[in-house]
Amino acid sequence: MSGFSSHDQVIAALSNGQTFRANWSKNANPTAAAVANEWHTLFRGAGNPGADAIFDAGSNLTFQAVKDNTTSAASIQHGGAVQPTYYKYLLNGSCVSAAATVVPATVTLVDVVGFYRVTTVTTATAQSTTNTLGQSDTFSADAGTDVCTYTSTANYPSNILTGTRVRLTTTTTLPAGLSLATDYYVIRASDSTFKLATTYANAVAGTQINITDAGTGTHTITWLLPRYTNGAGIGAIFFNPAATAMGAATPNLSLGYTNSAQTTSRATPTVLPIGKTAASNSHILYTGATGTGKYNYQTPLQSGDAGIAQIDTIQNSVSYVSGTYAVALLKELARFPISTLGLAAERNFMFETPSFPRIYDGAALYFLVGSGVATPASSAFSGHLDFVWN
Amino acid sequence: MTISNHKQLVDAELEGRVRTYSWRKNPTAATSGGLWFDMALSPGNPPPKYWFDATPGVAQTVSQSADGGLFHGANVSPSNKYLRGVRATPTSSTGLPITMILCDYLLYYPSLDDSTLDPQTVNNSNTLSRYTDGAGVQLMAVTVAGRTGGQTFSVNYTNSDGVAGRVTPNCYQNTSPVVGSVTTSQSVVQLSCNPFLPLQGNDSGVRSVQSVTMNGVDVGLFSLLLVRPLATFIIREFGAWVEKDFWLESCALPIIQDNAFLNFVTCPQSSLASTNFLGDLKVIWD
Repeated sequence: MSGFSSHDQVIAALSNGQTFRANWSKNANPTAAAVANEWHTLFRGAGNPGADAIFDAGSNLTFQAVKDNTTSAASIQHGGAVQPTYYKYLLNGSCVSAAATVVPATVTLVDVVGFYRVTTVTTATAQSTTNTLGQSDTFSADAGTDVCTYTSTANYPSNILTGTRVRLTTTTTLPAGLSLATDYYVIRASDSTFKLATTYANAVAGTQINITDAGTGTHTITWLLPRYTNGAGIGAIFFNPAATAMGAATPNLSLGYTNSAQTTSRATPTVLPIGKTAASNSHILYTGATGTGKYNYQTPLQSGDAGIAQIDTIQNSVSYVSGTYAVALLKELARFPISTLGLAAERNFMFETPSFPRIYDGAALYFLVGSGVATPASSAFSGHLDFVWN
Repeated sequence: MTISNHKQLVDAELEGRVRTYSWRKNPTAATSGGLWFDMALSPGNPPPKYWFDATPGVAQTVSQSADGGLFHGANVSPSNKYLRGVRATPTSSTGLPITMILCDYLLYYPSLDDSTLDPQTVNNSNTLSRYTDGAGVQLMAVTVAGRTGGQTFSVNYTNSDGVAGRVTPNCYQNTSPVVGSVTTSQSVVQLSCNPFLPLQGNDSGVRSVQSVTMNGVDVGLFSLLLVRPLATFIIREFGAWVEKDFWLESCALPIIQDNAFLNFVTCPQSSLASTNFLGDLKVIWD
């Protein structure tokens, strides 16, 4: 069985070489210093991996999935795909800075599952997004058990969780009981099998659709998020992905979204995040030390929501005049609070509760930094991440 | 459902019912060593909340939606939200070691007058919206206009059992002129109260205040706050984060009620005017 249930299994996995170490180094915002308590992404920072070339590219307001093998993603490598044979986890990590002017700071490891690039920043009304279900793999259906089995794994269908909204296509005829252009919700049976339900509630309850024949041709299942596919634990950030600062404005920034329970028309709370005027490259727009509308660092969600399945609208309440921003969907995995020049923050995830953050196949790992003090441009951070799988 | 075992805790995290929110406070007050100080009045993120912003003596409720405080996310009812952990670090060693008590600030009576010997009857048109019976709710006097000091006062209140006419022992006012200092905090004087007022007998909480009586005249104003302490930690030295994991350390997660206004009451060892504090709160809900 995949995963760990004892210390002995961890030791055995390490002994068998089922482990990968990533040494990383990233420079902070290369164009401007960070004000104390601002959060910045390290996506564009020089280092190892180098700067990304994806977050300021692509079609306006269109969801773009991110994986470790996405061209120019420049995410931190973690040893490649291991599912369904194994499950991969983060075993330990460290972070250090050699610059006294950087500490204290909080360096946060996130898995970025996708983003929406916004170029129409002068539009002050809510703008609808495009959410094409771009992840797809083929499957076959068993009419006797209603169980479907993945027959391809190019987009890591073993990542699909119960409650994920999907749609189906086929080259000929879908299995009887299923229709084209219809939302279904996955009931995860195993890493390689699933059933389908008509609603999210039915999926959670395990009430499957009765499939009465296997259909003909090749059937394909499509879904949106490449990981955390139902949106559980997924948060959002607005950030400047470009090499230049935003224009002058302090807009309220808001989202309309579908939550992880697949409920639509959710909205960020009344007291909205407020973007910083002329937000610098890499800045998470509404983060900062003082004033209203400052959130550090994820966008607040509507009451009770546990995650975002997809973003439906994005709005900046007044024109940003110029520039572009992006809204990324991400899952926080770990935090490394660094306090002292040259003293690494170290985390042993075996002994923390809950232990071992799961690293799904395709995970696009990046760091964010929350500056405790004014952080000079191109300040250097480095460290390591150890992964183990079983 | 409540979180009462490891599996429920892990399930909550796996299902995304967890968030970590960063905070920063930049106190500017020239606090005195050993005297408690209310950091709610300090600039930062969240911005300051001033306890003198309403009609004197008229109870004002406090909430995240109206007043801010350390952000802990939206309401989660009917689920329960818990404080999973807290981290904090200063940006310099001045003022350390410092004790910090995370409190839910519930209600305050603004600007009570030090110069009046007559009992100051307060207005309870607003009542507790959280911990409505007053269980565990404490009284804290915060200076909003400085005084000469040295006088005492007592508070007439209704306890958490609903019994009226309860009276605190006399409490000594310090000589600190600093706005935001806990009025009754002292390090060397008898009848001082650090940071909460003692209650009568075996009372365990305050539901409301009826009046405040000065035993000697002075200049100055103080506001009387009703707060519910949630967690305490100490930052011992600069260069080492304090990290509290309430599950691992005690298997008891403080509950953060919906719309709670969270902030810190602190006891520094010297002036905080040149020290900033930053950290985060990790919350989880069932």
